[in-house]
Amino acid sequence: MTISSSNPGGGRGSTGGTQFGQTHWSVVLSAAGHENPAQAAESLEKLCRLYWRPLYAFIRRQGESPHDAQDLTQEFFLRLVKKDYLNAVDQGKGRFRSFLLAALRHFLSNERDKARAQKRGGGVSPLPLDFDDAETHLGCQPADKITPETLFERHWATTLLEQALARLRQEYAALGREPLFEQLKATLTEARGSVPYSALAASLNLSEAAVKMAVHRLRQRYRECLRAEIAQTVATSAEIDDELRHVMGVFAK
Amino acid sequence: MDTLRICKQCRQPLPENAPEGLCPSCLAKIALGSEPAAPKTRIAPDPAELTPHFPQLEILELLGMGGMGMVYKARQPRLDRIVALKILPMDSAPHPSFAERFNREAKALAKLNHPGIVNIYDFGQAGQYYYFVMEYVDGMNLRQLLNNQPVNSRQALELVVQICTALQYAHDEGVVHRDIKPENILITRKGQVKIADFGLAKLLGAAPDTALTMSKAAMGTLNYMAPEQRENAQGVDHRADIYSLGVVFYEMLTGEVPMGRFEAPSKRVQVDVRLDEVVLRALEREPDRRYQHVSEIKTGVETITSTTPTAPVTPLAPPTRGGRESMAPGHTRPTTNTESSFSRTAIVGACFVPLSIIAAIAILAMAPPSIPTGAVALWQQEFRMGFGGVGLAAAFVTTILGWLAVGQIRQSAGTIHGTWLALFDGLLFPLLALDYGICFFVFQCGIALHFWTQDYDPTASAILIISSLVAWPVVDWLIIRAVWRATNKKGGNP
Repeated sequence: MTISSSNPGGGRGSTGGTQFGQTHWSVVLSAAGHENPAQAAESLEKLCRLYWRPLYAFIRRQGESPHDAQDLTQEFFLRLVKKDYLNAVDQGKGRFRSFLLAALRHFLSNERDKARAQKRGGGVSPLPLDFDDAETHLGCQPADKITPETLFERHWATTLLEQALARLRQEYAALGREPLFEQLKATLTEARGSVPYSALAASLNLSEAAVKMAVHRLRQRYRECLRAEIAQTVATSAEIDDELRHVMGVFAK
Repeated sequence: MDTLRICKQCRQPLPENAPEGLCPSCLAKIALGSEPAAPKTRIAPDPAELTPHFPQLEILELLGMGGMGMVYKARQPRLDRIVALKILPMDSAPHPSFAERFNREAKALAKLNHPGIVNIYDFGQAGQYYYFVMEYVDGMNLRQLLNNQPVNSRQALELVVQICTALQYAHDEGVVHRDIKPENILITRKGQVKIADFGLAKLLGAAPDTALTMSKAAMGTLNYMAPEQRENAQGVDHRADIYSLGVVFYEMLTGEVPMGRFEAPSKRVQVDVRLDEVVLRALEREPDRRYQHVSEIKTGVETITSTTPTAPVTPLAPPTRGGRESMAPGHTRPTTNTESSFSRTAIVGACFVPLSIIAAIAILAMAPPSIPTGAVALWQQEFRMGFGGVGLAAAFVTTILGWLAVGQIRQSAGTIHGTWLALFDGLLFPLLALDYGICFFVFQCGIALHFWTQDYDPTASAILIISSLVAWPVVDWLIIRAVWRATNKKGGNP
């Protein structure tokens, strides 16, 4: 059994990492030049839905209560989508991650000056964000001296990994091979020498050589998926590798 | 209690939000193209292999190996004494600055001279090996002890006091252990604590490769590390040891290491509630909120033990197992410590019961068949009142002592037993009063019935008497059962 290396059903954004067409972030950036505001707003909202967790973690780490942090996150996204901050984006430069963090810092410092009692959101229905789930994850953070920035970066990196793995799973599912993904996913983090090929071959009813090939392809495709996810958040393909090194480097901290 | 999931590859704890249950750190490494390497397996050199490097020693056998190196049992023929030879993990050798650091740190460690710390006799470099010649401890480590037999709270407190004394000495000398865990706390056959591997975590932690393999080899260490130590292993002070000691203390009392949101020890097992404060303060996440000196833990523990009724303590004679640091064959396994004394207060309380009974019999014996008159009557009246008073007072004293005994038993953390007698004492007076109340009520009912019917109805009287005879024991039984259950539920030890 072999796994096709094409992108059979990811269906979201660009295909593998090699091709660099329009990504969510490049669309948003072009919107700063007022080319297609409707598409830009949609792209930005898509990005926000994916990457709100790191922001929420950052705000919580700043010492805000869960309730205030939820309000602040929602309010920040509303402002963002209403383009309050997009005008400040320097076209063709910057990454979504650094833009978001800078914008959030700016927003928080402004917000602190205002009276907190003012009802936030202005009656507009907020994004359906699962704060309870995020709070569960935050509750498990060791309460040591992680800075809000490091926490933001870690959540960002974890979100990227989540998205990449979700995309990978989707691709396998589209081919009807989700069980194979389920069986092989653990091998992603295993050293090549310690992958139990023979046991996997027996349980998958495949030859050992086929399993080795499947593991190899899974790994290859995982890297491509991750690069594709990162590509969504940078402006040019040249930045992908740098961003990959930076984001994944946070786990070494 | 949370269970800590560990990445099989890098041996680091998995975060709660690990994508697809996979270690994000390893996923990141794969993405960067650097495959996680298989954990290094260290092979302990054979004693024969080491002999040429150590002409002054007769190397007898490998005692054990861990993250901090291999330990061999050896003999110094000239002094005719058994020593432990510790060979540091060999990965530490290639670092050029290591030799200099090793000499400096080892000198500081060799200066530590305390009965509670494993003595260093010699150190140096022999061929490719960095080594320590140390005191041989004939006993076992705390991990083996905990695996072998439950340590009762009394023994745990005794051990903690000893650990505190040794640690405080080292801290006063400016040495921080940095790796306090049950594996590093050795206990001799006589029950003397000896802390091993002082400062080795710092020495070996300087070499990045070693630090990595060390954490893999001794992943359990993570559970004992202070929060600030996990973040920055090098920049910690003696308060990291205080946290680790808190974890060891908690584990000795409850059998589990504290993780996530953990309960106070007294909520998990039957221990003195005052210990919670000591343990939880040692386990404060913020170093500033912890005890600032190990001696404060010792004081806290000693204050509690000095105000707890004393009970005989079984000496800690460890059983034989393939000990890491040192074990000699043929040592017998001690019996599990179940010695505890019967509550003296409960016994004293029970001694007053016969007095009550004698008083009651005397009153009944003097109850006259007909109403007497004159001086005799007066005399009998006085006596009955006197006996009645004594009987009541005796029952009352029994009850007071009974409840005192219940309190003492609950505070003794298992060293005093006899809850059943204490409860008997405690319930004597209230139950007597209640039973009297029931009789009085039934008697009044009888009189009321007699007045109401204007006739003596033997059937009605019989029903009343029988119902009172039934109500008596039933009510008593229900109360005794409820109190017994409530006492045991709260952690009583009958």
